[in-house]
Amino acid sequence: MPRRSRSRSLRFAALAAGAALAMTGCNAAAKKDDSGGTGAKGAKDFTLVTPDPVGQNEFMKLAVTGVKAAAKAHGGGSPKVFQSSDTASQQQNLQAAVDAAPDVVVLVGFEFADAVAQQAEAHPKQQFLMVDACTKKTYDNVSCGVFREHEGVFLAGAEAGLLSESGKVGAVDVLDTPQFRRYSDPFAAGAKHVAKKTRTATRFVGGQSPFDDSARAKEQAGSLIAKGTDHIMAAAAAGNYGVFEAAKAKGAFAYGVDVNQCASAPGTVVDNVVKRTDVAVEKGIGHILDGDNGKTVSYGLKEGGITLTGLEDDVASSKCVIAKHEDVLKKVGGLRDEIVSGKLKVDDPAAA
Amino acid sequence: MFFDSDLFLSALRALTPILLAALGGALCERAGVFNIGLEGMMLMGCFTAVATSWFTGSPWLGVLAAALAAAAYSLILAVGAVTLKGDAVVLGVAMNLLAVGLTSFLLRTVFGVQGTFDDPDLVGLPEIAGFSPLTWLSWAAVGVAAVLLSRHAWGLRLRGVGEAPDAAATLGVSPVKYKYGAVLASGVLCGLAGAQLALGNVTLFSENMTAGRGWIAVVAVMLGRALPLGVLLAALLFGLAEAAGFRLQGLGLPQQATDAAPYVVTLIALFLTTAKRRRKTGAVA
Repeated sequence: MPRRSRSRSLRFAALAAGAALAMTGCNAAAKKDDSGGTGAKGAKDFTLVTPDPVGQNEFMKLAVTGVKAAAKAHGGGSPKVFQSSDTASQQQNLQAAVDAAPDVVVLVGFEFADAVAQQAEAHPKQQFLMVDACTKKTYDNVSCGVFREHEGVFLAGAEAGLLSESGKVGAVDVLDTPQFRRYSDPFAAGAKHVAKKTRTATRFVGGQSPFDDSARAKEQAGSLIAKGTDHIMAAAAAGNYGVFEAAKAKGAFAYGVDVNQCASAPGTVVDNVVKRTDVAVEKGIGHILDGDNGKTVSYGLKEGGITLTGLEDDVASSKCVIAKHEDVLKKVGGLRDEIVSGKLKVDDPAAA
Repeated sequence: MFFDSDLFLSALRALTPILLAALGGALCERAGVFNIGLEGMMLMGCFTAVATSWFTGSPWLGVLAAALAAAAYSLILAVGAVTLKGDAVVLGVAMNLLAVGLTSFLLRTVFGVQGTFDDPDLVGLPEIAGFSPLTWLSWAAVGVAAVLLSRHAWGLRLRGVGEAPDAAATLGVSPVKYKYGAVLASGVLCGLAGAQLALGNVTLFSENMTAGRGWIAVVAVMLGRALPLGVLLAALLFGLAEAAGFRLQGLGLPQQATDAAPYVVTLIALFLTTAKRRRKTGAVA
């Protein structure tokens, strides 16, 4: 039962404007001898600091997988993983990681943005990799990995367009801001791409705590379903479970984000837009070791950083509805190839 | 199309948790204890309801446990504000903060997950004639509270304790006892509100899932002037405003504007009620 992750990446989206700025401000790569606190040749060591306990959190588990794969690829021993449980321990763990001076300190999540900026200034020789977020300013020793969620959401929308019987699809989103619209606008675009006549609608949870309010999200989903919508993209952080409940109650279908959420409501959740933190961590470490640091790299379908549960090998055991629709998967796979090759371009609502 | 049965059903679903909590707040207000810890007590109720329903398989036991747990939690306010004569506002804020931290901590230790606990096997409350049993109970509670407060000796004493504790004490009515009673009753009602939210409106627990409903309830107490029927009307107003807000989004209004709906309604209602009151009393603030 992975939980926090959606809420994490969605919350991050609010802060991602900084990442977009960072992308435009890439600095020239620093000198190679900047990379490594230990300075030792050969075996490299990495430390991962997580903002939450890894436990059953799929999003964090993927990050651990990524850092382990990187350690294996670069001849290191088993990497250290510092799991935080609150803001104080995040700071302590980051400090402890920096004190040990590994080749790369890997951090997942927007929580670290400010702390990393401070540490990067204080320790210019230490290399940092931030995933799913970035510091506001660019630093030579901070590299970032961010995701192009809209590409995956577009494919989920295509599935919805192909599967919808009522010809109406919709999304329940957290807030009406460009970053969050990455989870709703491309869904509509994807559905219309495969079925021109599809009618689309988006509801935003809003309210006092838009990320936590599953009851509101459920009502929003219910109001979409009442108007005939039968496929709903759930991008409502903790509210996703409310969306799933509403869909299940009325026999509609929903789509999850970040990790495989199909087990939350088997038979209701069609597919998920998955964020492969492991890919971003492994590739990010690779870039840093190649001396290509201080940059922000974005991961989408092409880089394997964004995918759908349905397009992965283990779709049969995923409990997702899409596993039963091979014809749809085939078409969606074709669309993915078009996006990867650049033939089909997905509009990014967050692009300035 | 805009005013159809769906709108009212949606409003009634939004209403129940707020109404139950606000009734608790009204009792405290009448007893002279300013209770702004409704949000925290409700959240405790949410967690206890879900945890108990999960481990026993019975949502009814979940409801019962939620009421008891929130009542126990309300003792912080009772002991702090009544016995130790501390500041009820400070205590209320502390209770709200503690509840967020405590339930998040318990979520991790008991269920080993973070953010949200949700499982297809978690049993929620059944519906009776289209509504959660707690919805029916909340309406009954409005009637009971109204009769108790205005027609019963117990209510008279409670109000006396709130308005003139020294006079009440002189007449042999123990202010401490009545204040404890009111705070504990508000705990029970907030626990039920939490159970309704976590096992009725949705069937899951997520951190901070009350999402400000306890604060709306505090406002409903003020707007309804701590009268059970007034509180019902105020809570109904909020429920309608929220449901209408969802509809307005469907009509193309931006979310930022529809979010403001409950607050605009509050301002208008406050303005109208105070204007009316002023005309009646001729008082000028």
